[in-house]
Amino acid sequence: GGSVATVASSSPGVAAVATVPPGKGGARAGTAGSLPGAGLLGTGGPLCLSQPWGFAVMLGHKVGGGVVVEDQPDVSAVLSAYNQQGDPTLYEEYYSGLKNFIECSLDCHRAELSQLFYPLFVHMYLELVYNQHESEAKSFFERFHGDQECYYQDDLRVLSSLTKKEHMKGNETMLDFRTSKFVLRISRDSYQLLKRHLQEKQNNQIWNIVQEHLYIDIFDGMPRSKQQIDAMVGSLAGEAKREANKAKVFFGLLKEPEFDVPLDDEDEEGENEEGKPKKKKPKKDSVGSKSKKQDPNAPPQNRIPLPELKDSDKLDKVMNMKEAARRVRLGPECLPSICFYTFLNAYQGLTAVDITDDSSMIVGGFADSTVRVWSVTPKKLRSVKTAADLSLIDKESDDVLERIMDEKTASELKILYGHSGPVYGTSFSPDRNYLLSCSEDGTVRLWSLQTFTCLVGYKGHNYPVWDTQFSPYGYYFVSGGHDRVARLWATDHYQPLRIFAGHLADVTCTRFHPNSNYIATGSADRTIRLWDVLNGNCVRIFTGHKGPIHSLAFSPNGRFLATGATDGRVLLWDIGHGLMVGELKGHTDTIYALRFSRDGEILASGSMDNTVRLWDAVKAFEDLETDDFTTATGHINLPENSQDLLLGTYMTKSTPVVHLHFTRRNLLLAAGAYSSQ
Amino acid sequence: YVTTILEDAKIYSSHAKKSSVDADDVRLAIQCRTDQSFTSPPPRDVGGNVTVSLQFLLDIARQKNQTPLPLIKPYSGPRLPPDRYCLTAPNYRLKSLQKKVSSSAGRITVPRLSVGAVSSRPSTPTLGTPSAQTVSVSTKVGTPVSLTGQRFTVQIPSSQAAVKSATPTTPTVQNVLINPSLIGPKNILITTNMVSSQNTSNESNPLKRKHEDDDDYDNL
Repeated sequence: GGSVATVASSSPGVAAVATVPPGKGGARAGTAGSLPGAGLLGTGGPLCLSQPWGFAVMLGHKVGGGVVVEDQPDVSAVLSAYNQQGDPTLYEEYYSGLKNFIECSLDCHRAELSQLFYPLFVHMYLELVYNQHESEAKSFFERFHGDQECYYQDDLRVLSSLTKKEHMKGNETMLDFRTSKFVLRISRDSYQLLKRHLQEKQNNQIWNIVQEHLYIDIFDGMPRSKQQIDAMVGSLAGEAKREANKAKVFFGLLKEPEFDVPLDDEDEEGENEEGKPKKKKPKKDSVGSKSKKQDPNAPPQNRIPLPELKDSDKLDKVMNMKEAARRVRLGPECLPSICFYTFLNAYQGLTAVDITDDSSMIVGGFADSTVRVWSVTPKKLRSVKTAADLSLIDKESDDVLERIMDEKTASELKILYGHSGPVYGTSFSPDRNYLLSCSEDGTVRLWSLQTFTCLVGYKGHNYPVWDTQFSPYGYYFVSGGHDRVARLWATDHYQPLRIFAGHLADVTCTRFHPNSNYIATGSADRTIRLWDVLNGNCVRIFTGHKGPIHSLAFSPNGRFLATGATDGRVLLWDIGHGLMVGELKGHTDTIYALRFSRDGEILASGSMDNTVRLWDAVKAFEDLETDDFTTATGHINLPENSQDLLLGTYMTKSTPVVHLHFTRRNLLLAAGAYSSQ
Repeated sequence: YVTTILEDAKIYSSHAKKSSVDADDVRLAIQCRTDQSFTSPPPRDVGGNVTVSLQFLLDIARQKNQTPLPLIKPYSGPRLPPDRYCLTAPNYRLKSLQKKVSSSAGRITVPRLSVGAVSSRPSTPTLGTPSAQTVSVSTKVGTPVSLTGQRFTVQIPSSQAAVKSATPTTPTVQNVLINPSLIGPKNILITTNMVSSQNTSNESNPLKRKHEDDDDYDNL
């Protein structure tokens, strides 16, 4: 397809569309006094607890004495979690008993205790299915699925189709969900209340089930409100234990090498005023940290091996600094102009986009398995000459880099063939010599941008690879796919260097931290994990999204992470403290693109709802109440300030936004494929 | 899909000498098909279950993550895996001609048409034989190209086969380079018309040694 650049300059004052965030409002019928199925156990009030539990004779006694399994004995360790607790016909009783208790508890505790409903419901249902009590499972599901929070509706729909044990066997996510413990974070007071109730003689069965399948992470502090809880729950494995977020993370930036920038060649644009003497002192690099001392939050320079700076890289850095000097300072008063690149005639086949750092090339990955590279600047794309011709050129001439290019091959578009499935991720290398693409065919391909041919196919994932990205320093790259792991590769190794395993479902998005020491992965299990490249450990787990994550962006200073998912929310995370520090509501559909401006003042988000929104990042990150206390409890009070932070909403004419990129001068480029619906 | 499964099930039931197809046959048929068409990484547990558990993934990850990150050699040009893992070699071979050529007596020339072949050495892009751009020079004694390995070599006539030679006496020249990883060993584009079968066994030695080094064929 062709491409057309449509320039849409932003003007402050474009109407911001305020939308009600999805998912609020009651799909739960659980208000006090109106319990569906209350008929079984009578009306509310403390006395509801003393119902005929007497017939639950199996206190601590397993009916059936363990389930007969036809699998091999060496899996017994895994399957021991499948032993059912108690009589399957009474599961409904157990659940509604707990429900009554929680409904009747004090307001301040109710929200926290209500977190138990969903995981218990799912675990009990899966236990019934796995142990082949199909009819009990079905009626259990019918009775209680309507009570669950609305943001679990997608999961429940999947669950409703899992009616037989065979269905479970093929579904790795469900099996791992079964064997892992769902994490709940509850304040100490609420926990005491729950424990006291459940350990009473007649409720022991539910206590066993709770202990079997849930992990309750206790914190000291005020019980959380429903709003606070709703912000942070939603993932397949519950929330994150505080322990999971305790490790020290070096979120600082690596020191950039200092060099003197010669400013002798002046630009033609004449930014200087006329008559001013053109004497300029050579500038020191201001991109990296200014102090000579090591930033305590930055990783040591050689913590992970990084490629050395080549001369071409140094030249590039000089260019970068020059451009940075001319960068527009953005802010609420000065919003960026947005230039939108629309892919026409893509017929919904555009699946991935990337733009080089210097904004000279744009690549599109397509569902027809092609990768197409366009030149954004007037300079065309050329490939190097053939070996025979290269032997004829004068290697000592100054413009040898021009001479090696074959003029006959100059074109604006280059098409790269090689993949055998839709291309879901693309990434330019920082030195613009290479291009990566990952595809449904399970491979990641490295293409040369000098010959426009494929150099290597990296095979490791045997399943679709959803995303890939080069490290900011080149050489390393990360990929994540359907096999639920992310892999770290180096271009000169045919096998991955690191495997990051831990997600319960597909890894849908992978990004490097600006210092290249950490990798963030977003997954279909609705969590984001931060991994240490050095040893493969997971150092942070962030929960809160209610749908698979499709976009990640690190702030340029390395301290914060912004994430976007199918739930239309952008969540902001403080990496150092491991806390959610912001929630930006406004989009109404999946957010596929997130990008911070070059100095981190503005966060731009692009979504399937055909809009680009700009948010005030400076304001979002100032005055955070992140201290030791909040770090210990695991949450801070999130202000409802999405409206204040929204600086502008820009609508396209039915073109979902797939990629965002700030040029070195802070012009915002956006890309998407026109879809006529 | 359904037809295939049912047909398989019929076969299984007739093998078991049953009069009609029953559910067990169908289950067996599904299982066998799944193993063939939907491959999965080896599961931790044996027997029937082809899903990969998280525990298994964690185990292999732990193993892989124990090795420290390799140091990066500076100034090593384009950093690519060894050639046999790359797709950088020409994936075709030119047909040899019958006519004799005397020029390359005593040398093996390896013409490299650099379609898609970015040199993996940092040296200059010139090559040894600018002249042999097109059709190859002739062979007196033909040698087949061995496709056993994924390595590309030039064949040396049988008398020299055991020696990893730099200067064979007979000018056997072949544009031999085939990239089996692209085409597969069966897709020999053109075979030479002169085949001496005794060479095949002898070639394995020089081939094998070449597996080890990363250098390309410039030094052949």
